[in-house]
Amino acid sequence: MDKQLEKILRRVQKPGRYAGGEWNAVRKDWSSTYIKMAFAFPDVYEVGMSHLGMQILYGAVNEREDALLERVFAPWPDMEEQMRKTGLPLFSLESRKPVRDFDIIGFTLQYELSFTNILNMLDLAGIPLRTEDRAGDDFPLVVAGGPCAFNPEPLAEFIDAFVLGEGEEIVNELLDAYLESRRRGEGWREMLLRLARIDGIYVPSFYEVEYNEDGGIKSVTPTVGGVPALVKKRVVADIENVYFPTRPVVPAIESVHDRAMLEVQRGCTRGCRFCQAGVIYRPVREKEPETLLRHAREIIGATGYGEISLTSLSTSDYSRVRPLVSDLTRKHGDTGVNVSLPSLRVDAFSVDLAKEVQKVRRSSLTFAPEAGTQRLRDVINKGVTEENLMEAVTAAFSGGWQAIKLYFMIGLPTETDADLAGIVELARRVLQRGRELVTARGRLKVTVSVSSFVPKSHTPFQWEPQDTMEELRRKQAFLRERLRGKGLVFNWHDPETSFIEAVLSRGDRRLAGAIEAAWRKGSRFDGWSEFFDLNKWLAAFDETGIEPGRYAHRRYNYEDILPWDHIGAGVSKKYLVKEHRRAMDGQTTHDCRGGRCPGCGLCPTLAVKPYMAGGETVAPVQDNL
Amino acid sequence: MPRYRIIYSKRGPARYISHLDLVRALERSMRRAGLPIAFSEGFNPHPRMSFAAPLPVGIEGLAEVMDVEMTAPVPRRDLADRLNAALPPGLAVKEVLEVADNAPAPMAVLDKAAYIVHLDADDLPAPLFECTVEEFLALDKVEVSRRGKNGREKTRDIRPGIIKMEVQSRVCGLTMRLELKTGSAMNVRPEEAMTALFRHAGIPVDPVELEITRMKLFAGDSGLD
Repeated sequence: MDKQLEKILRRVQKPGRYAGGEWNAVRKDWSSTYIKMAFAFPDVYEVGMSHLGMQILYGAVNEREDALLERVFAPWPDMEEQMRKTGLPLFSLESRKPVRDFDIIGFTLQYELSFTNILNMLDLAGIPLRTEDRAGDDFPLVVAGGPCAFNPEPLAEFIDAFVLGEGEEIVNELLDAYLESRRRGEGWREMLLRLARIDGIYVPSFYEVEYNEDGGIKSVTPTVGGVPALVKKRVVADIENVYFPTRPVVPAIESVHDRAMLEVQRGCTRGCRFCQAGVIYRPVREKEPETLLRHAREIIGATGYGEISLTSLSTSDYSRVRPLVSDLTRKHGDTGVNVSLPSLRVDAFSVDLAKEVQKVRRSSLTFAPEAGTQRLRDVINKGVTEENLMEAVTAAFSGGWQAIKLYFMIGLPTETDADLAGIVELARRVLQRGRELVTARGRLKVTVSVSSFVPKSHTPFQWEPQDTMEELRRKQAFLRERLRGKGLVFNWHDPETSFIEAVLSRGDRRLAGAIEAAWRKGSRFDGWSEFFDLNKWLAAFDETGIEPGRYAHRRYNYEDILPWDHIGAGVSKKYLVKEHRRAMDGQTTHDCRGGRCPGCGLCPTLAVKPYMAGGETVAPVQDNL
Repeated sequence: MPRYRIIYSKRGPARYISHLDLVRALERSMRRAGLPIAFSEGFNPHPRMSFAAPLPVGIEGLAEVMDVEMTAPVPRRDLADRLNAALPPGLAVKEVLEVADNAPAPMAVLDKAAYIVHLDADDLPAPLFECTVEEFLALDKVEVSRRGKNGREKTRDIRPGIIKMEVQSRVCGLTMRLELKTGSAMNVRPEEAMTALFRHAGIPVDPVELEITRMKLFAGDSGLD
């Protein structure tokens, strides 16, 4: 295979994507290792290698003596062409073994638009796409986890078992169960049954879905005994002592996030009502600064990275962020190691932090007010005021930055043109502040970037329809016309990809045929604008009798059974209903970090608690709704 | 500041990384090795490294040359051992030399490189005879065209840049040894020279099939190593 691979690698654009051999890559003895698992990232190498979750699972599994985990990424179309031409099957980077020879393949589901890549990778591996066609034969077990597993239904026919929630602990339970099943010589079905009994594992083939005449879902019922009617996500209770990779694989070619990643906390307490991550990574759990300093030292020593990024959903919220940044800069600054912050909360405090870590103000600062008026920001519970934003940009412009990026979402529930006009006004006010404070006027730039709202499962907005593409285009045009002028830049996301994202994110099992048809028509890398083709998808829906608008544009009722209702993210449906009602009334809900529990129901349901560095905690209330 | 010349190889998986990725990999390796690398001044400090000649992606190099500055002296043997322990697979230090502070950069003195080029029997549709090579070398002019950065075709004569070209072996195909002008004054790439040779010989060969190894870099007749 090596000779053949060499010949192929001479013909592709970036052979480093497939060559392996990176620093800290783990290569174990193939024949003497009991379980062989492939971690499959359904996007290109540079994207997949930027993903902390992969590094965590890679380290956690490879620490075991009886198991190995090797990486495989989606081949770029030029590589796919070569592989198909020469019959080279999809292979892992470490051993260069065909993926088909592994015991388990684990896909990570980071975004809906990677679904066609999953089918493509299975196909390139020579593995039948559907569970039913793999059953009983000697094919690898195909599992999947990650954010999109919280509505697993569109992929239910392709994936044998979904893993819900945080993977550090459950991955070991999965491997143990697999091993035990093999030892006992169990068949395919017995093995799946064994897996389905692990908390947090959902085996879709053990559930039957019935539909109403109007096309809605009538019921989702387990078809065998011993599997739960509601599969609840897994949460790591002790984030402090759970495995963290301090010897991550260092990518051989430049990746999207090519730096050390230090996870300062997991979860976010802000409760933005459109945000799925805010729900699925609850509760917030901070790490102790001493642990983080130790990890930082180990990671830098083991990787040689010149930059360390403090990652989390909202790093400025980490209660010890200020002393942590000072300590890291003091300890590692003189060896040429910089600290970076991935996302900034909209306030002056965050800009001060950025000032401390960014000695050179070369890049722009980005803030995400998400909506243009206070009314709409209250609807989405984005706890940001115009005053916060003006303070933040004032601090940024006086601190030496000349470029500001503002992120907004359009198509949010209850949005009117007045909210769009609010975006314009806000941008102009920021620009005006820049004119007052920035001396190099020529470099002053305010970029407004708008994405389209996509309703996501397990959020208070899960019942809400997405705007039609026509309406989103009209709103973009509205903004484009008004955001012209010196110093203003307007960017927007293509509403077509957001539409497919909405269909898939709210989809059910009936979409399987359409996903497969889209893939057969050549859909790949749908998240990449150069490859995305709406017409392929529309033809696929047409062919399989699916009306995509029913998924994207439909308003669900509170009483409806949603396709993902048998998947438990921990937050109660009653709470989501209450939050949705509050949103419609324009009422905000406070952050549980302050000590007052809004009663989302997660902590009692999953027997966990928020944890703040230094041992402070929030007293959860029982589900009192 | 103490300056060292590092002779290293770039093979195996490392041959597939670009020059920029190599620079990044070396910086990280030196940091892992705990070497006192010197950084440039300015807003965006980067390690003070300079390379004789970037190696194109896919080509192996057996004795590549770079200079690096340190803030404190490191024994040569020590430097080689520590760096070797921290280099990813495919990169290896062969030798470390001390270089005078005021010595010219390796890129400034480089003018020649030696290559081994191999072609599998399957990819060579007809035998290449010695006499054809001699005939080729007897030409006054070897014109090749290359698309420039502006997209326009540029034709130039590479004959003065072909110093040596000989068949080394015919085991499992064809192996040739080339010496070509390399550097700022004149630069001939091995696949250019080979393509011109096969065109002259009338043998259709896909240049992507050439397996190329850079053996050595020279300043005049003496090796940079």
